[in-house]
Amino acid sequence: MTLKIKSVVLALGLAALVTGCGHIPNNSRKADRGIGNAKMEPMLDSKTDSPVHTIVMPHDEPVFSPGEGRDEFVTACVVCHSPRYITMQPQFSRTTWLSEVKKMKDVYGAHISDEQALKITDYLFSINGKAGTGQGPKGTYGE
Amino acid sequence: MNRRGFLQLIGATGIAALASSCNRINSVMATLPSSTNLARFPEKTEMILLTDRPPQLETPLHYFRQDLTPNEAFFVRWHLEGIPISVDLRTFRLNVSGHVRQPLQLSVDDLRSQFQPISIIAVNQCSGNSRSFFEPRVPGGQWKHGACGNAKWTGVSVKSILDRAQVKTGAMDVSFNGLDVPPLPSVSDFVKALSIDHARDGVVMIAYAMNDQPLPMVNGFPLRLVVPGWYGTYWVKALSDIAVLPHPFSNFWTDKAYRIPNAPNGTESPKDLAKDTIPINRFNVRSIFVRPDPDEILHPGMPTEIEGIAFDSGYGIRRVEVSTDGGATWADARLDPEIGKYSWRRWRTSWTPRNRGQYQLMARATNVVGDTQSKEQWNRSGFMWNVIQQVDVKVG
Repeated sequence: MTLKIKSVVLALGLAALVTGCGHIPNNSRKADRGIGNAKMEPMLDSKTDSPVHTIVMPHDEPVFSPGEGRDEFVTACVVCHSPRYITMQPQFSRTTWLSEVKKMKDVYGAHISDEQALKITDYLFSINGKAGTGQGPKGTYGE
Repeated sequence: MNRRGFLQLIGATGIAALASSCNRINSVMATLPSSTNLARFPEKTEMILLTDRPPQLETPLHYFRQDLTPNEAFFVRWHLEGIPISVDLRTFRLNVSGHVRQPLQLSVDDLRSQFQPISIIAVNQCSGNSRSFFEPRVPGGQWKHGACGNAKWTGVSVKSILDRAQVKTGAMDVSFNGLDVPPLPSVSDFVKALSIDHARDGVVMIAYAMNDQPLPMVNGFPLRLVVPGWYGTYWVKALSDIAVLPHPFSNFWTDKAYRIPNAPNGTESPKDLAKDTIPINRFNVRSIFVRPDPDEILHPGMPTEIEGIAFDSGYGIRRVEVSTDGGATWADARLDPEIGKYSWRRWRTSWTPRNRGQYQLMARATNVVGDTQSKEQWNRSGFMWNVIQQVDVKVG
């Protein structure tokens, strides 16, 4: 029951992403990926004499190339954190990526099924895996 | 909230995040890994971007040529997506509760006007500073050496606040919570604790000023716990709740996270992970080069200034040795005067390379109790890096 609700909600989120973004940029283009190199929202630092101190956080997250498992990744992971948590990592083996995904699911309670966890692992490995050592326990959830 | 409502909330959050991230697409993730990204966040200068949500920002090393790290360049590390972005000082209160006779609700003005102010210069350093240098590499924030900084902290001692609250007998731990909130109910709120004796040592303090200015929001405005000599995980930002406990504190961030092998210098082998672990605690001793720049080309026969910083958990730096030949020979560097027990200490030496070629500069600090730096170190979490730093320079 709850799984169904979850799927609907997540699907809605995904739909919003797809329609909201219009198109996914061509992944063959090597573009700048940094907030710093790019246009940045001007800072709205509040005045120091005001009792209310407010900042506006910049929001500029990298967009990931298409691939198997991308949808699961975008839906389940970036709800809680920037995809830069992936891109700042070195290339890891599939085993390491799987243990990271497991940590997110089992320790932090990310709302993903075992099947989705595997898809996400495959996607993370495909975009930031270490060649040669990546043939981990494919198709199994757990080590 | 029931489960359905909760899931809808999650969905809505996700949609909001995704929709807003689509507003400005200027970056495409095609190949990895990345070169260094710089970013400007509110009240901050251009810093090395690790992550943007929640923010993790690293200080460019050249700022360490100043004894006090400017607030706008001080490193930033949050755990949970829900970081505070607005604080109303008219309603903000620091709550002191739990095993006390007199619970307190203190405004920042109360702290400034009703307690004896104290100031201390202290290094704050992330547990994972320099994590990217561990081999084999470990997951986590891939910091270089810039997840630390030295600042003058001004505020009130935790002791004076606990004294006002009148701690009951039998208190064991004191927990510290900030305004940040988890993105999911399943994620533990970020709360840390110190033993009652540590919290009452008169050194642990609550800072309302950093280098004589209010703290930047992303560094913990309006109040931050300062735990001199201890890793940054204890320096709770946007501190809002203190609870005195008659039992040992326990939560995910202490029982499962931020633990080190119970072994000298927190070291273990990748092939034989330690079973016995303890919460991370005091800094080990380390040094960091700040001059020359790694890409600076030096010239034969020309004197070159070599400079760095060294610190430990408060015993004090006794000696820094520098090698210009990859560790074959060492010579003492000059130490600048101490500017505080918990501050870093600057060291300098002059070096005139004779010949063209590649040179390996190394620095090794030793503190007054004889702790020093080693050549090898590893642990699964990438904590407490203090391997002797090597900087390769070209003389041409």
